[in-house]
Amino acid sequence: MSYEKPTSRRVAGRRGSGTDPLGANSEIGRKLRQYYDDLVKEEIPDRFSDLLSQLEMQEQAESAEKED
Amino acid sequence: MSVYDGFRDDLLATVPSLRAFAVSLSKNADRADDLVQETLVKAWDKQKSFQPGTNLKAWLFTILRNEFYSQMRKRKREVEDSDGAITGRLSVHPAQQGAIDLKDFRKALELLPEDQREAIVLIGASGFSYEEAAEICGCAIGTIKSRVSRARSRLQDILGITGENDFGPDAISAQITSGAFSG
Repeated sequence: MSYEKPTSRRVAGRRGSGTDPLGANSEIGRKLRQYYDDLVKEEIPDRFSDLLSQLEMQEQAESAEKED
Repeated sequence: MSVYDGFRDDLLATVPSLRAFAVSLSKNADRADDLVQETLVKAWDKQKSFQPGTNLKAWLFTILRNEFYSQMRKRKREVEDSDGAITGRLSVHPAQQGAIDLKDFRKALELLPEDQREAIVLIGASGFSYEEAAEICGCAIGTIKSRVSRARSRLQDILGITGENDFGPDAISAQITSGAFSG
């Protein structure tokens, strides 16, 4: 629990001890972050990068047509 | 041309968070990926309405959320949603001394109504402020606060955790329990 930066103490103090419902002392808060972080860490399928490349190419083609 | 250089890369960098939010909303990985895909297409089409320098992540979360609810409205006409009926009867086992299984937590989270689930995820996990979450959900800050609070109590009920942050008789036992971890 000592990895926190010095500033976090001030932030925690501002929120008031025990009133942050999802803070570090909350089991629900910890589990929620664990659940979410596991999802964020999942490998991203190529389809999203491919999709953006496709959109970008499509746009370039359209703007080239306009110039003709 | 893109609205600014690197717009594409910034979109791509947000995909992991968008997917996590989409999974927590839709409770289904395949549907979540479809939601993210639709969000990226919509974001690309309306990129001129994005103001560079403002919060891209919040902008994208708003698009994804709108897409989710519009899809859900379409589906609801086809299949009557039965979530409400299930919520009362739970198959999650109460936690032993604060050791909640992650699978049980996920099940419990999925039992929450959408508005409460999205609020607690945006505030407790996605890193948004109450103000940002209110903007994403198109409601008042107070509404987000009360949804988060209801979501939290509901999760505590389902998982058999007594109000760990509340004042009252339980506050003492919560202190004892958390003391075991803080040493």
